[in-house]
Amino acid sequence: MTYKSKRTLTTMIVGAALYIGYIVYAMGKYQTDPENIKSWAIALLVFIGISIVAQIVLQILFHIGLAVGMAVKEEMKGNGDTDKVTRNLNSSMVEDEMDKLIKLKSDRVVYIGAGIGFVATLIAFALGISNVLAINILFGSFAVGSIIEGIVSIYYFEKGVHNV
Amino acid sequence: MSKKKFVITNNIRKLRFFADEMTQLDLAEKAGASRQTIIALEAGKYTPSLEMAFRIADVFGVSVEEVFEFKVVEGKK
Repeated sequence: MTYKSKRTLTTMIVGAALYIGYIVYAMGKYQTDPENIKSWAIALLVFIGISIVAQIVLQILFHIGLAVGMAVKEEMKGNGDTDKVTRNLNSSMVEDEMDKLIKLKSDRVVYIGAGIGFVATLIAFALGISNVLAINILFGSFAVGSIIEGIVSIYYFEKGVHNV
Repeated sequence: MSKKKFVITNNIRKLRFFADEMTQLDLAEKAGASRQTIIALEAGKYTPSLEMAFRIADVFGVSVEEVFEFKVVEGKK
């Protein structure tokens, strides 16, 4: 598995774990506060903030772990060349045209997810379902869309991608 | 009725060998790509843009045709 697949997988797992945590929290909150849209908007904003901070912290930890892992691998080969480790790490982090192409293809999944979520939200409003449920449908579609985006990205990183 | 299929192959591995066994990392740095992209290119998992193709050819000091080959494969529909 390449560096970029590992990074995407890590981001995806943390995103999924955070979203599951949110679902557990939301189910509890829905029992006590099912209609107060303002408190739900605040809860969602707090959750988004937590997600951003968690992803930043995780990326830092991931890169430290990766650098240590590479250094240990080189050491085990009997080659303690730190310059090579740095070069390998820098080269892995270069975002080139292949990454941009993969991003372009996988981002479509998020747009499709968001689009379906938006229509589902409108249908929920039209059917007279509560605002809280509707806003959660919209939020859920983004979350699921970004998880699927991760899966698609990993698929392209591993199986390859062509300019067609 | 036959359907044409276009295949782009490359000689990067061979050219690296003749360039004093240049590493994938060296080639990636010189061509301005990531090592993963070079690995994918060699494995035929990625078709580069024209610019990248020229950059790789430039690293080896050869023409693009010497690095990449374009083939048309006739297949049955």
